[in-house]
Amino acid sequence: MVNSPKPADSLQGTLELLILKTLDLGANHGFGITLHIQEASEGLLRVEEGSLYPALHRLERNQLVTAVWKITANGRRARVYALTASGRKRLGEAEENWASLAKGVGKVLRFA
Amino acid sequence: MIHWLQRILRRPGRAQEIHEEIQSHLEMRADLNAAEGMPPTQARLDARRRLGNSAHIEEDTRAVHRAWWTGALGQDIRYGLRSFRRAPVFTITAIVTVALGVGASTAVFSVVDRILFRPLPYPQADRLVSVGMLTAADTNEFLMGPAYLQFRDRQTPFSSMASFGFTSACDLTEANPERLQCTLVDSTFLPTFGIHPLAGRNFTASEDVPNAPRFALLTYGFWMSRFAGDREILGRSIPIDEKPTTIIGILPSDFELFNLSRVDLLMPEGLLPNQAGRAFARLKPGVSVEQAKEALQALFAEESQHLPPEYRPRMALVVRPLRDRQIANVRTASWVLLVAVVLVLLMSCANVANLLLARSASRRRELAVRHALGAGRARLIRQALTESLLLAVAGAAAGCSLAWALLRFFIAMAPNGITRLEQATLDARVLLFTVAVSAVSGILFGLAPALERPDAEALCGGRSIASFRGLLRHALIAAQIAASLVLLTGAGLLLGALWRMEQVPLGIDPDHAVTAHFVLRNTYNQARVLAFYEGLESRLNRMPATAVAIGSSIPPFGGTGGTPFSALSVEGRPRLPEGVGGGVSWRYITPGYFGALGIPILRGRTFNEQDRGPGAPAIVINQTLAQRLFPGRDPIGQRMFPSAKGEWHTVAGVVGDVRGRGLDQPPEPEYYVVRKHAPDEIFGDGSGVRSASVLVRSPLDPQAVAASIRANIAELDPALPVEIETMGERVRELTVGPRFNAMLLAGFAATGMVLAAIGIYGVIAFLVSQRTREVGVRMALGATPAGVIGLFLRHAARWTAAGLCLGLAGSIAATRLLSSMLFEARGRDWWSFVAAASMLSVVALLAAWLPARRAARIDPVRTLRE
Repeated sequence: MVNSPKPADSLQGTLELLILKTLDLGANHGFGITLHIQEASEGLLRVEEGSLYPALHRLERNQLVTAVWKITANGRRARVYALTASGRKRLGEAEENWASLAKGVGKVLRFA
Repeated sequence: MIHWLQRILRRPGRAQEIHEEIQSHLEMRADLNAAEGMPPTQARLDARRRLGNSAHIEEDTRAVHRAWWTGALGQDIRYGLRSFRRAPVFTITAIVTVALGVGASTAVFSVVDRILFRPLPYPQADRLVSVGMLTAADTNEFLMGPAYLQFRDRQTPFSSMASFGFTSACDLTEANPERLQCTLVDSTFLPTFGIHPLAGRNFTASEDVPNAPRFALLTYGFWMSRFAGDREILGRSIPIDEKPTTIIGILPSDFELFNLSRVDLLMPEGLLPNQAGRAFARLKPGVSVEQAKEALQALFAEESQHLPPEYRPRMALVVRPLRDRQIANVRTASWVLLVAVVLVLLMSCANVANLLLARSASRRRELAVRHALGAGRARLIRQALTESLLLAVAGAAAGCSLAWALLRFFIAMAPNGITRLEQATLDARVLLFTVAVSAVSGILFGLAPALERPDAEALCGGRSIASFRGLLRHALIAAQIAASLVLLTGAGLLLGALWRMEQVPLGIDPDHAVTAHFVLRNTYNQARVLAFYEGLESRLNRMPATAVAIGSSIPPFGGTGGTPFSALSVEGRPRLPEGVGGGVSWRYITPGYFGALGIPILRGRTFNEQDRGPGAPAIVINQTLAQRLFPGRDPIGQRMFPSAKGEWHTVAGVVGDVRGRGLDQPPEPEYYVVRKHAPDEIFGDGSGVRSASVLVRSPLDPQAVAASIRANIAELDPALPVEIETMGERVRELTVGPRFNAMLLAGFAATGMVLAAIGIYGVIAFLVSQRTREVGVRMALGATPAGVIGLFLRHAARWTAAGLCLGLAGSIAATRLLSSMLFEARGRDWWSFVAAASMLSVVALLAAWLPARRAARIDPVRTLRE
């Protein structure tokens, strides 16, 4: 199940999409990803920190991201994740899926 | 092994890395919080609160990297092994329990399975039946020659019918002579049983007639041992009993007779009238045994008209499956063993269940802690499953070895008569079954606690015992006690019967005596037979021995001459009507016979040399015959004749009875006639005296005596095969069957008792550990150690008593099953119930006392502080 490249469910899929999108802007560590999602969504989205790390490791295992230990600006050791080529490809697909899903859901909600 | 496993399975890098990553997350959040002005302690606490349970997160993250079986299974196994090492008593007990259950039941089932359930080695063997007439006195049906021919030609329910005319000794009389077993069958025997010769052919109906040229088929074993598998032997002639016999075929290697007796040659029966034989048949498709019997009734009624009238009412037609006929003798014993096996297996399962339940109750806290530390419920269930399976595997491995050893042991000590035992091998299916049963019971009861939702209460060490499980535990104990009582009673009954049997006086003294048995060749004429015996007697008398005897046979066993009781005449008394009174055995002996065998002379005298010359012949009778022929009179000097020739014999003495046919049989009436120095008319042509046995009583080493007997016989006839046995060996054969059964059941009973004791010990030990605090309070309030022990003993006694009541009912049922195996069983066997019940009570209370004593040593001050 871990090996399957497909997102297991939409919730997980959403978190995956957010992580990939964040990393598309540049390599980052787990805490940085949390902060970015929160800031970019203007506080609307708060990442469940407990599910962030399993998700990151799942992406790493599926070779969508790579990880290396680095020293941050503040002098902390952190595991920094970066997109791979296949991660970028997956991001494209996921964005499309999300767009069509959002469009579909929006239409349904507007239909009255 | 464990070290190696650990090296393979452990990956320390990953877990550490994940831990550091989470820590770095927490630190960065704390840094941020501090930068926003929070005090350092609060900053760290807030970071933790936002993250949640870091142990859970680490575990979930680690799980991402695991192939589901390697990491988790390896960890579960490691954890399981560690927890077993921490509880060695539990572990060893559980493994021993499973091993005993699996080992004992597999070994015995492998034996019984061969006897009860395996097909006979004939194609569609379930269609084979035995057909014949049965008298009340006989156990196996027979068919006289003419009746067989009528049945064969006129029957309708069978596709074919075959006759089997017994197996007897025959000699291969060429250079390097050999004593063989020749079996006479008719030409339809092999086709009926569906046996095809490996080479050559079966004999034809035209070759199967009286006085035809002789033909034979060789068995595979004889062909290999004598002719080294040479196919050129086909068509050659070999002398059997000095008559040329042509070999026309070789039987396949898996050929065996339905009665499994040894056979070397299969020869045409050439059925004569007045020749009794066994008849077998193959049912036509769709015909049942009952239908076949119905269809034969008319033929049977017709044929029984030819029987002597006094036999007719006691004669019945029998058609029964071949297997029934084959296993009739061991059937009860096999069922008894099977029941014993199932009981032991169930007890071992109950024990495993009980052990795991007790363990799980004491592990509730551990499970709750592990859950709190991040183990998911699926994980806990998997862990329980792994541990149960580990136990099952270890137990099964030990059980396999035990089964193998037991089977070797059974084969080594079983009496020869047990059908197919030497072919028994460990049966993979049976092994699989028993292992599966123990594994399932282990998994079931090992899993139960893990399935329960771990509650936070357990963390505080709260001791809420699920009362249902307590009840189940006790019910299991009661069931074990019951099963154990049944086994013990059964073993007691069998041992009692064996003891009674061994107390029965055999009537002879078996010590320091060696016997030799031989059969003179058919080519010996009367003069040569006499010369042989005269020469043998004078040679044996020169041996350094206390006493020497030559008899037509030597008890126990051994064929004895038989005369109808009604044929015995007493002077001055009318003859009895024919066929009344059963049979009388007799032996043809030398005067030293009674002295050599240790048979007491009760009245009169034994034979002397004068009796062996011409003149008035003498006769010696045993006590049973004396009582029947001369009730209330002195038999000495009475005149009677035992033979049809009608020469009066004077009764010279009365001797003690000998139980020649087995200790469980009443002594038979028997008489003795002395071996004369001249040809004796008593045998007619003298053919009956070819077979004889020699007994030499000597304080010398039996090996030396045997060699000396052999040498003496070889001087007279170097080609004569001789069987030598000590008298002790022959007498032991009388009780070997009952002893085997009793030993087996006693073994099971002992196993069962050990299991029951383990069970009780486990449960009471568990209760003691559960109630430590309560006991502490009681003792603080003034309870004495004796009172505390009594508390637990009363508890054990209650459930033991319940089990005993249940077991008593089971034992009564078991006694019924056993009754046919019991020698002289009369109502007085109540003692074995009492003995079994009291033994079990003592063991149960002892098993309970050990842990109860620990409770009495509890220090109230310490337990109350805890």
